[in-house]
Order: sequence, then structure tokens, then C-alpha cells
Amino acid sequence: MTLDPGTLGGVALGAPFLAALLILITPARLAEWWGYLAAGVAVTATALMLPSVRAGEPVTLTLLPLTEGLDLRLDVDALGLTFALLASGLWVVTSVYSSGYVRATDLAHRPRFFAAFAASIGAALGVALAGNLLTFFLFYELLTLATYPLVVHKETEKSFAAGRRYLAFSLGGGLALLTAVAWTWQIAGTLDFTPGGFLHLHASGATLTALFVLYVAGVAVKSAVMPLHAWLPAAMVAPTPVSALLHAVAVVKAGIFGTLRVLGFVFGPASLAGFSGAHVLAGLAMVTIVAGSLIALRQDNLKRRLAYSTVVHLSYMVLGAALVAPLAMVGSVMHMVNHGLAKITLFFCAGAIYAATHRENISELGGLGRQMPWTFGAFTVASLALVGLPGLSGFVGKFFLARGAIGNGDLVAFGVMLGTSLLTAAYLLPIVRIAYFPGASAARESGARAHAYAEAPAAMVVPLVATAVLVVLFGMFPGVMNVQFDLAADVAARIFGSAVP
Amino acid sequence: MTTSNLPALLFMVPFMAALIAVAGGWLVAGSARWIALAALAVTAVLAVASVPLVLTGGPLHTQLGGWAPPIGIEVLLDPLSAGVAALVAVVALLIVGGSMREVREELPGQETVYYGSVLLMLSGLLGIVIAGDLFNLFVQIEVASLSAYALVASGGRGAPRAGFTYLIIGSFGASVYLAGVGFIYAATGTLNMADVAARLAAADPSLVMVGGVLMVAGLGVKMALFPLHTWMPAAYALSPSVSASLMAPLVTKVSAYAMIRVLFWVFGGGTSVDRVLLDMVAVAGAAAIVAGGVMALLQTDLRRLLAYSSVGQMGVVALGVGVANAPGMTGAVLHIANDALMKGALFLAAGTALLRFGVREVSDLSRLRGRAPWTSAAVAVAGLSLIGIPPLGGFFGKWYVLNGTLADGRWALTAAFMVGSLATVGYVLRLIEPLFFTAASGNEGQREGSAPALVACALLALLVILIGVGNERIVTLIVTPALPGGLR
Repeated sequence: MTLDPGTLGGVALGAPFLAALLILITPARLAEWWGYLAAGVAVTATALMLPSVRAGEPVTLTLLPLTEGLDLRLDVDALGLTFALLASGLWVVTSVYSSGYVRATDLAHRPRFFAAFAASIGAALGVALAGNLLTFFLFYELLTLATYPLVVHKETEKSFAAGRRYLAFSLGGGLALLTAVAWTWQIAGTLDFTPGGFLHLHASGATLTALFVLYVAGVAVKSAVMPLHAWLPAAMVAPTPVSALLHAVAVVKAGIFGTLRVLGFVFGPASLAGFSGAHVLAGLAMVTIVAGSLIALRQDNLKRRLAYSTVVHLSYMVLGAALVAPLAMVGSVMHMVNHGLAKITLFFCAGAIYAATHRENISELGGLGRQMPWTFGAFTVASLALVGLPGLSGFVGKFFLARGAIGNGDLVAFGVMLGTSLLTAAYLLPIVRIAYFPGASAARESGARAHAYAEAPAAMVVPLVATAVLVVLFGMFPGVMNVQFDLAADVAARIFGSAVP
Repeated sequence: MTTSNLPALLFMVPFMAALIAVAGGWLVAGSARWIALAALAVTAVLAVASVPLVLTGGPLHTQLGGWAPPIGIEVLLDPLSAGVAALVAVVALLIVGGSMREVREELPGQETVYYGSVLLMLSGLLGIVIAGDLFNLFVQIEVASLSAYALVASGGRGAPRAGFTYLIIGSFGASVYLAGVGFIYAATGTLNMADVAARLAAADPSLVMVGGVLMVAGLGVKMALFPLHTWMPAAYALSPSVSASLMAPLVTKVSAYAMIRVLFWVFGGGTSVDRVLLDMVAVAGAAAIVAGGVMALLQTDLRRLLAYSSVGQMGVVALGVGVANAPGMTGAVLHIANDALMKGALFLAAGTALLRFGVREVSDLSRLRGRAPWTSAAVAVAGLSLIGIPPLGGFFGKWYVLNGTLADGRWALTAAFMVGSLATVGYVLRLIEPLFFTAASGNEGQREGSAPALVACALLALLVILIGVGNERIVTLIVTPALPGGLR
């Protein structure tokens, strides 16, 4: 039996939502198993679309007519498939990790947790596979809603405050996006994503600028560009698997993905050349990169420091999109994946440390490096990848981003990128140093509470080692890197209408 | 029976049933509820059946008593009135059927009077829907309103006072409307809507202008269009919950329909007057969206919050009507249906919260947590639809109205719409948080509401989902044919 590739998209999208429903209505002990099953189905179906997408065949599926002339429609291209593979692939790993985490931390309300998790992934896949702006908007809003129960999961006053802030930012951005989408529908009469954009055919001047502001406000919330970033550090109150997959990968990358879609497939280089919107966005991204790095340096709470690091690296990708250059676009798409692999590893480690030691602050990690060798080994690899060490995943995307900046003659952007790598080293590597070489004072402090800690349960350690291995694979294994590069290059080639050199 | 009697039957069935119910309830205790239920079921079947009939066979006109207009009174059933009549009849059937046990508990000994008033009110509401004559419209508004005052005042605590306030403000609105009708009669010499529309162009513009403004203002009171909404929050917060859950989904929605009917079928003749009236309605609508949203955000009383939410949602309807283009009107008509269904589900849930869990305040909703999962789920569906989450019904109402403001480049209206929508997020979250996430307190052992209430609530929530998912078909098959001729 062969499945139409469009149907595969429907299967990948449907599996998580169906799992969410089953988790809620079947006995609680089955919850994680539905999650495993759906994750397996989703990643398989997504991977099976790869040949068709690489061959440039259309992969579409119409789910439901929404209004006259506007359907709920999937249309899978290289960009969408990249994001879908990232989200569904890491969901498999995170499912294992979550099983370990909920036991190690004795998490309450497990069915709700697993159902919301599955629904969030479903929404992220919908964002990835959406063929037009209204479909994109629908899943973008569902993503916000599905992650809300996870943010407030602990049901403390602090988590409610974070949840309110999260919804206010996200749904506020959603309203801006909705306005932009409706306006586009009024002036263009189409909402289909078109490589190279379509707005330049229908709008110019002030209208184009206003639309740009609305669109960017809509997607910049999830990609946490300052000043719209404040929800992300607050959302770290959620259980760590959520911080790892959703607030380092699926949700925030939906914002990056949205930025790429809007800039490349709605506006396009032809529109963006006509006004300064992209420059302003690039400026905001650079401010975010520098300011976010400086704030990250001052965080003692491990998850908060990682959250600000996410803010920084997201703006890296926004910058790559806003440079409107083929190579920078390639770098942006590749860093979307590579940062995801490294950052999920770091959060997995943070969760493993918490599960094993109940420590959350960097200053308390002294000496743990030797007691939890696998965890801190993975942490070190992922940190070095984010710094941009060649041979690890983070380097590749940064390399193309930098080439794009130089190619544009944008030395400020290039300088910011170089500086960021140093700053990334400055806020991530001290964590590694403290863990392995606590120094005299910290050692005495730990010694006072002399306690031999061991690794977290295997269900948590195996996933974090697996993602660390992926970080290495995506940094030095040509077979993997070529597929990834081909997809990213295909995205850029379609947007700019010429092959990437 | 020929179909030409169908329009009249729609309001005659509940009217006659009101008399029978009162007599029956007096003779055999407890019979009134079954008479009411049977009459509403018949009405709902007739109303729903009339929709395809009208869509395929064209509008049905009936001259009451056989007198031809302009002397006689005309009632008519066109796609718009048939659709709204079906909505009203179905929602009424669901809510009356769903709250039978609650009526016995909340209004012991007053059951017969309650069902008599309910049937009379529905006869008035359906009379408004099919009225083809401006004075007959006034009469039906009074029939509906007088029974509504009684339904509000029958509660305890502050209900008589709220009913009295409602009576004063409501009668004022009706009088203003009637005064407007007087001016129109003076200008055109007729009361039949179609005849008035034909003669407006030749009439004295200043008389028409004064008449139009008065009529729109009067109907604005009835549909609780900001700033004429002041009767509503107290009326729905203090009345018996069974009265509120029936009135809140229907009364303002039918009045909004009357507003559309008057603006487009009477004043829609392309005179300069209708532009002024439409702009009035659009600005009031935009203001209502902001004010209703912000006021709802500030309420502590659950039903007051829901009432202010309706102020905002009626603002969405008014905004769509006021921009007066095809997407705007499509959104307005859709949102009349949306708010009827959403508020039906929410007020039924509020009734369950009050009667089973003793909840009046929003913050006490945590008593339902984990104990009333289906009711909570219905609230969540209706609430998310209020926010405008696709693909629920509320999204499409907002989507079309938003497109309507954008189509003519009316940015200020768009901006107000967005601000109000953000407030909606806030007040819906105030319902969702305690229902699903705050630690439960008190009322151990209590589960859900009565089975009928639960079924009705769930069906209304299901309809909210279905009219969203089926939006494309509903718009092309029902809403577009129902729009005024120039806007299809």
C-alpha cells in the first residue's frame, strides 16, 4: 500500500491530536504509551514525506473548507518539513525523557500533562505543514492554548502569573497576526504561501509598512525578540520537559518559522527591498542578541540562564531572516535545527540535575560534574556547540549566517555574531567550570553538605546523551548534514529564485 | 394547512400555548412545563423546517386576517427571518428543556407563571422576527419585554428592583422607538416596512432622519448597545438563573436582528440618512467592544461578567452591521448565532454553578474543578469561541467583521476591535483558571448539574463547534442568501 504524500502530512498532524484525546479519555496509566505511539507515527509519517519534498513534488492536503475560497490546507515544502522533522523527531526523545521526569519528580496531573504535550506538538506540526496564512494562524493559536496548561502545570501563584503573561503576550501577538492576515486577504485575495512572496504585487508604501509591523509583532512574540520576550523566562516555571521541547524548540521555533514564512513567502525579497522594515527588524534582533547575552550572564538560576540564551539564539535566526540574503537564510534554517538539538540537550541536563539533586542554581552545582559524568558530558558538548565550535552542530548555521552578513557587506551584523559567540562562551562555559572545578570555597560549601549524588534515572540520561550524539552528528557527519543543507538551500533557492552558491 | 400560514404559526403556537399552559397549570399542577416543552418542540420543528422551504421557494408573506397591506398587518418569512427564528426556537427548546428541574427548585410554586411568561416572551421574540410592519414590531417588542420584566422580577434578593429598572429603561427604549415610528409614519403615511422603504426617497428628509435616529436608539436599548446597555448586567445577575439563562442568549440577539431589519429593509434605500444611522451603529459597536470587554474584565460576579461579555459581543454585531459591506454583515449575522449559542452554554453553566455549587463569584468557580468536567468543558469551548479561537464559531464571526472593517479601510474601528478582543482573552482566562487549574475547595461529593442541564449545555457547546467547522457551507447556503440584496 502506498500513501499519497499529502495524506502522510495529515497522518503526522492527526496522530498527536488523536493521542491527546485518547490520553484524556482512557485510563491514566496508558497516557505515556499513547504519547510514544503518536510520536512514532508522527516522525515516521514526516520522514516518509522527505523523498517527495526533496524531489520537489507537491505535497498537499485539503482538510476542510473554512470560508469561501479559503481552505484549511497543508502544503509541505522544504522549510515546513525541516521544522516538522525537528519537532516530531525530538518529541520521540522527549517522550522517553518525560517518562523518567514524571517519575523522578512525582509529577501530578499526568494525563493533563501528556495530553497538552501531545496537542502542543500537533499544533507545532500544523504550523510547520500549513499551506496558507489562515491555516498557519489556526495552528499558531492552538499552539499557544495547548502550551498554557503546561506553563501553569504546578498551579502555584507564580505559575499562574507566568501563564497570564504568556497568554497576554501570545494571544496579543495573535491578534496582530490575525489583523495582518485579514488585511492581506482583503488586498491580495489569496493567503497561500508563495516562495518569493506575493505582497509586492498588491501593496506598497505605508500599507506594506503597516502590514510588516503587524506580521512581525505577531511572530516576534513567539520568537522572543525584545521587547516581546518577557514571557519566555517567566514560562520556565513549567516542568523541564516543557522547557526543553516547547520553550527551546517547538513553540519558539514556530516563531522563527513564522518569521521565515512571513519574510520569505508573504513579503519576499521584492517587497522587502522597498522599505526599511527588514533593517529595523535586524536592528531589534541585534539589540536582543547583545542585551539578552548580558542578562544571561547575570542569571544564577540555570533554567533562566538557558532561557535568555534561547532568547539570544532565536534573535540570531531572526537576524538571518532579516538580512534578506540567500546564505543568511540558509544559516537561519540550519541554526533553527542545530540550536534546537543543543538547547534541548542543555534543558534535559538541567532537568536531570534537578531530578537527581533538587538544585536549580548554577552556584550550587559545584563538583557535580564528576558525580553525574554523562549529564555534564552532554552539557559540555551542547554548550560548546552553541558557542560555535567547528565539528559540532552549532557551527554550521553560524558559519552560513556569518557568510550571509559578510556577503551583504553588513559588518555590524557580522561583528554582533562574532561577539555573541564570545558572550555565549562567557555565560555557558562557567557552568561547566563550576561543575568540574568548583574551586576551594565552593568545594567547602558542598563539602558542608557532603552528599554523594548519582545520575538521574536512565530514562532521563539516555535521551540527553542521545541528543548530545545528534549534536555531534549534525556537526560532522556528512550524510546528515547534506540532507539538512539541501533542504535549507532549497528554501533559499525558492525564495530568491536562484541556486545558493 | 398551507405554507402561507407558516409565518403566523411561528408566533401563534407559543402564544396559544401560553394561555393553555396557564390554564393547564392551574388545573393540574406541574402540567405547564410539559405544555411548554411540547409547544417549543413544535415551534422548533416548524422554524427549522421553514429554513429550506424559504431558501428554495422564496419568501413567505402572510396578511393577518386577510387584509392586504398597507391596511393589514403583514408578517414575512425570508431567509434571514427564517434563520433567526430557527436559531431562537432551537436555543429556547434546549434551554427550557435543560432547566426544568432547576425551575422547580429555584421558583417553587411559581412554575406555571414562569412557563406562561416564557411562552409569551418567545411568542413576542418570534413575532419580532417575522414582523413586516413597523408598528407590529413595536407590539411584539412590548409582548416580549413585558414577559421578560416578569421573568427577571420573579427572583429573590435584588431581582424585583432589577426588574423594575429593566422595566423603566426598556419601556423608555420602546417609547423612543415608537416615537421614531411616528415620525416615519408622518413622513411616508405607511407602516409596512416594504412600503416605507419604497416611499422614503420622496419623503421629507428631516422627518426621516429624526425618525430613523429615534428608532435606532430605541432598538439599541433593546439590544443593549453601548451606552444603552445599562439595564442588562443587573437584570441578568439578579434574576433567577433559569430566567437569565433563557433571556441572555435570546433577547438582545433578536433585538439586533430587528436593528438589521430596520436599517437594511426600511432605510436601505440609498438615502443619505442610512449612512448616518450606520455610522452611529458602527461607532457605538466599536465602543461597545472595548467597554464591554474592559467592564467584563473588572467584574467579580459571574453573571455580570457574562452580561458585560454580551455587551461586547453585541458590539461585534453592531460593528459588522455598521460597516455595512458583505463581510461585515456576514459576520454580524453569524455572530448573532454565535453569541446565542455561547451565552446559552455559559449561562446554563452559570446556573449549574449557582444551584449545585453555590457559586456567584467568578473566583468560586474552583468549586467545580474536577467535579463538573463536562460543564467545565462546555465553558471552555464557549470561552475559547468568545476569544475567537479557530475553528470555533466565534472565530468566524470576528473574522468576517474584521474583514468588513478592513475592506473599507476603517482603521479606527479595526483598532478598537483589536483592543476589545484582547480584553476578551483576559476575562475568559478568569473563567478557565479556576475551573481547570486552581485547587478545588468545598462542595465535596457534588457532581455536575442535572442530566438535562448537562445535555443542553453540551449540545450548545457542540453547536458552537459545528457552526465553526461547517462555516463555509453555512455562509454560502444560509447567510449569504439572507443578506440584503445589495450585499450578497
